[in-house]
Amino acid sequence: MKSRTSGPTTDLASDPPTDVITSPESAPAPRPKSGRSLGLKAGRTMHAGPWTYIVLALFTAVSLAPLIWTAIAASRTSGRLAQTPPPLWFGGNLFKNLERAWTEASLGDAMLNTTIVAGSITIGTVLFSTIAGFAFAKLKFKFSGLLLLLTIGTMMVPPQLSVVPLYLWIADLQWTNQLQAVILPTFVSAFGVFFMRQYLLQALPSELIEAARMDGASSLRIIWHVVFPAARPAMAVLGLLTFVMAWNDFLWPIIALNQSNPTVQVALNSLGTGYIPDRAVIMAGALLGTLPLLFAFILFGKQIVSGIMQGAVKG
Amino acid sequence: MSETTEYAETASPDKGDAAPAASGRRKSSPTSSWRSRLYRWDIKASPYVFVAPFFLFFGAFGLFPLLYTGWASLHRLELTNLDDSTWLGLENYTNLLQSDYFWNALGNTFTIGVISTVPQLAIALGIAHLLNYKLRGSTLWRVAMLAPYATSVASASLVFTLLFAWDGGMVNWIIGSVGFDPVNWRESSWGSQFAVSSIVIWRWTGYNALIYLAAMQAVPHDLYESASLDGASRWQQFRHVTIPMLRPTILFTVVVSTIGATQLFGEPLLFGGTAGSKGGADHQFQTLGLYLYDQGWINGHLGRASAVAWLMLVILLLIAAVNLLIARRLRKAQ
Amino acid sequence: MRTTYRRPGRLVAFAAVTALATSLLAGCSSDDDGGSASSDGKITLNVGTFGVLGLKQAGLYDEYEKSHPNIKIKENVIERNDAYYPKLLTQLQSGAGVNDVAAIEVSNITEVVQTQGAKFEDLSKAEGVDKSTYLDWKWDQGTTEDGKTIGLGVDIGPTALCYRKDLFKKAGLPTDREELAKAWSGDWDKYVELGEKYMKKAPDGTKFVDSASSVYNAVFAGATERYYDKSGKEIYEKSQGRKDAWDAAMKVAKGDMSAKLKQFDPTWDQGFANAKFATVACPAWMAGYIQEKTGASGKGQWDMARAPKEGNWGGTFLGVPSAGKHKKEATELAVWLTQPEQLSKVFAKQASFPSTPSAYDSLKPSPATKAYFNNAPITKIYGDIAKNIPSVIYGLKDAQIGQSITDIGVLQVEQQGKSPAEGWEAAQKEIKDVLGQ
Repeated sequence: MKSRTSGPTTDLASDPPTDVITSPESAPAPRPKSGRSLGLKAGRTMHAGPWTYIVLALFTAVSLAPLIWTAIAASRTSGRLAQTPPPLWFGGNLFKNLERAWTEASLGDAMLNTTIVAGSITIGTVLFSTIAGFAFAKLKFKFSGLLLLLTIGTMMVPPQLSVVPLYLWIADLQWTNQLQAVILPTFVSAFGVFFMRQYLLQALPSELIEAARMDGASSLRIIWHVVFPAARPAMAVLGLLTFVMAWNDFLWPIIALNQSNPTVQVALNSLGTGYIPDRAVIMAGALLGTLPLLFAFILFGKQIVSGIMQGAVKG
Repeated sequence: MSETTEYAETASPDKGDAAPAASGRRKSSPTSSWRSRLYRWDIKASPYVFVAPFFLFFGAFGLFPLLYTGWASLHRLELTNLDDSTWLGLENYTNLLQSDYFWNALGNTFTIGVISTVPQLAIALGIAHLLNYKLRGSTLWRVAMLAPYATSVASASLVFTLLFAWDGGMVNWIIGSVGFDPVNWRESSWGSQFAVSSIVIWRWTGYNALIYLAAMQAVPHDLYESASLDGASRWQQFRHVTIPMLRPTILFTVVVSTIGATQLFGEPLLFGGTAGSKGGADHQFQTLGLYLYDQGWINGHLGRASAVAWLMLVILLLIAAVNLLIARRLRKAQ
Repeated sequence: MRTTYRRPGRLVAFAAVTALATSLLAGCSSDDDGGSASSDGKITLNVGTFGVLGLKQAGLYDEYEKSHPNIKIKENVIERNDAYYPKLLTQLQSGAGVNDVAAIEVSNITEVVQTQGAKFEDLSKAEGVDKSTYLDWKWDQGTTEDGKTIGLGVDIGPTALCYRKDLFKKAGLPTDREELAKAWSGDWDKYVELGEKYMKKAPDGTKFVDSASSVYNAVFAGATERYYDKSGKEIYEKSQGRKDAWDAAMKVAKGDMSAKLKQFDPTWDQGFANAKFATVACPAWMAGYIQEKTGASGKGQWDMARAPKEGNWGGTFLGVPSAGKHKKEATELAVWLTQPEQLSKVFAKQASFPSTPSAYDSLKPSPATKAYFNNAPITKIYGDIAKNIPSVIYGLKDAQIGQSITDIGVLQVEQQGKSPAEGWEAAQKEIKDVLGQ
């Protein structure tokens, strides 16, 4: 998913249709002209007042606190963590603990593996969810209602229980300790399909598809030129959620993989060893395991921020 | 089906004034009948092709576990001996329905589900609304929403155990300074449910806010524009523009959160510490997901655990059916 | 209305993404499958362990690789045994992904011996194995009814009592370890009585013991009659050992003698650091934990004495699954790792106590630990206990029954204010559920 970074001329050319895309069926707005001029403001015409910032700051503080405390704990010693009150500011052991965690858990290989795993799952989920969600939202076909119910139904199977039969299945395929054992079972997601369907129901006007059809566009072209642009913010959010989920998943990877070919969450297990687990080093490992996610945040975050309309004119 | 044929017919005549790139593609008139046949096939088949990958992967990796647990739920099957199963019929189910632990877990799942899901979605909607304003440093605010979801279980469990500690925990310290007695968060009935719910809310509110935010991005701003020209306040705009436009996404989060609440497992487990799968000395915060884990994973009774899973599925279907009925009633009443 | 725009660049990008995804998938299927024989002719042995073993930390793998140049050892650790053990069971039964050498926790060993015996190699006949090297009761635990030894003992958990001299002194109790050991020798009730005395003059904010559950576990560790009888029938209701342990725990809970902590919680660590309790039953492996968590303030204040009765809490075995690819080499490694010389090294590193008595006389605790515990003769105390631990009858679901009693029954009385009768009833009900009755 590359952002629209082509030159200004192409952007102008693509302006009208993107505006149309964003207007839902019910929108009474006269278009495309007024839509186009207002499109520059991207739906966020209201400026935030001070209260908005205060509420958001509070919410953000609560959200971030455990993560920040992880960093504080990682900068201390295990003994200090046992004392009350717990440390509330950074100590001097951060780099020592980070280094120990990195080498003891051999996180280098694990990071590469997890990037492959989480990246593949994200690509698969976003791609297949978008097209399936589009079909469920906007195309009429036999059994579509039933198939949609079936899709949602698959979400209802508790994952904790699938572990044993899935292991037997993976063992049959001789995939134990190989990355595809953790990639393929979560390569698609019912959550994603349902999410995309609900989103496109709202965000993608049916007239747009009809118009494209009248122009003789094939389904693939419609996916590429109509659905993907309209779905971009949702694809970015889904991509972000999926990436984080895949990165932090541990129940199944611990069972399917071992430390000769680990993901980060599997590798981090080697830190809690010995009768006296060093909590500071464990926290350092947890911190290291989370850092790559921050990069993913920035990568996907930009996509979410620059919503469809804004993206069209930003260049 | 009539709709699609209509497309095909209107589409087949060559339009000279179509977009240049597109017309270039369809200039080759000799093959036009072949093309139109292909086109008709495309329209008929493409929906199935689009949903096929999902079902293929599900069939390959989701179906076997589903059928296996269904089969296991009708047998006595132990983790220590997967090759030896005894046919029980519905005995696992009838046993469960007579088990206090099952009903207790069901009740806990319901109460924790309600006190965590409702505030979580309400707050998420509000936060998403705020995030949708023009903000300084908007990327930062947005990605911070997902920090709890990205925080590792190891960190979160350590932090929350310390926060909710009976003796010397931060929460008890605060309520103590206002003059209340310290609460044994883990071993009291409502206290533990409240604590677990607060972890759930902490973890998932930002997640849902981001989902709402994505949907808000697609709300055409001219709706707000005309609403504000009509003199609508921000609150009115939120109520009369944002919420109706977001209805499909709200429905989505309600469904997903309901499923998530029914399967709730990670948060109570981490809150429970060692032997967390019991959900407290009196099972006061043991959810169905936790009970299933305890039965299958700790006690090794795969058959019984599978029956719990299938009962959970039945419960979800019941909820869905009730929902449908109510919705239909409401529509008729209108 | 213009709706279609052709941009070949995008199609290329699309194709590239798809190609990338496919190649990633193809790429990982060619990854090594756990690494058996690598290209340089070396054999890689996978050792599967859960959190506590410490063989790697003691440098044993490096040493073995040096003396066996054709062997590479790879350790696969899962931190928590409650994830490790189900995985072990699933691996054994599918025959796929098994480790060449697998660690087994003492709470699971009976179940493994009784239900998975056929899936392990018999180590009693392996070269270099001498039954007399190991403690009898430890050997028996790892041996099936028909005499097949599937697990060799690594460490054991002889259990002493650790106490804080400073708190005892303030409460007016004796502080000499010999004197204390004599005072409560042979009877846990005497230990509880001492606790009642302590509570009368307890220093502010302190309790006699960390938790009622730990008292239950400590008393039960020395029980001669446990949850099962010889025929494998559950006798937990009538078992004398269970009753004694329960009664002691109830006295502690009802007498408000415990700090009401849960072992291995972060708050338990804080209890050590803040000197919230005066005694804790301490198996050998816990000594280092106490030292680390209490910190410098406890140096010379902690001491240890023999417990009223000899008991074992914790420990590990090593087995060789038959589905492994290199059974011969794996057996050699497992045997080597469990020899007295090697286990002594593990002890020196992290105080987990060897299951081989011939090592006891020459064991050297780390000087820091010895000094921390007021120069108590650590190895002698633990060694004496280890040699006197009775060989008793273990059962299939010992671990789950024990957990039901401590985490349901005892906890209800200790933390939810229920009566002992209510607590026991709840525990019984839980056990029935756990056993699937």
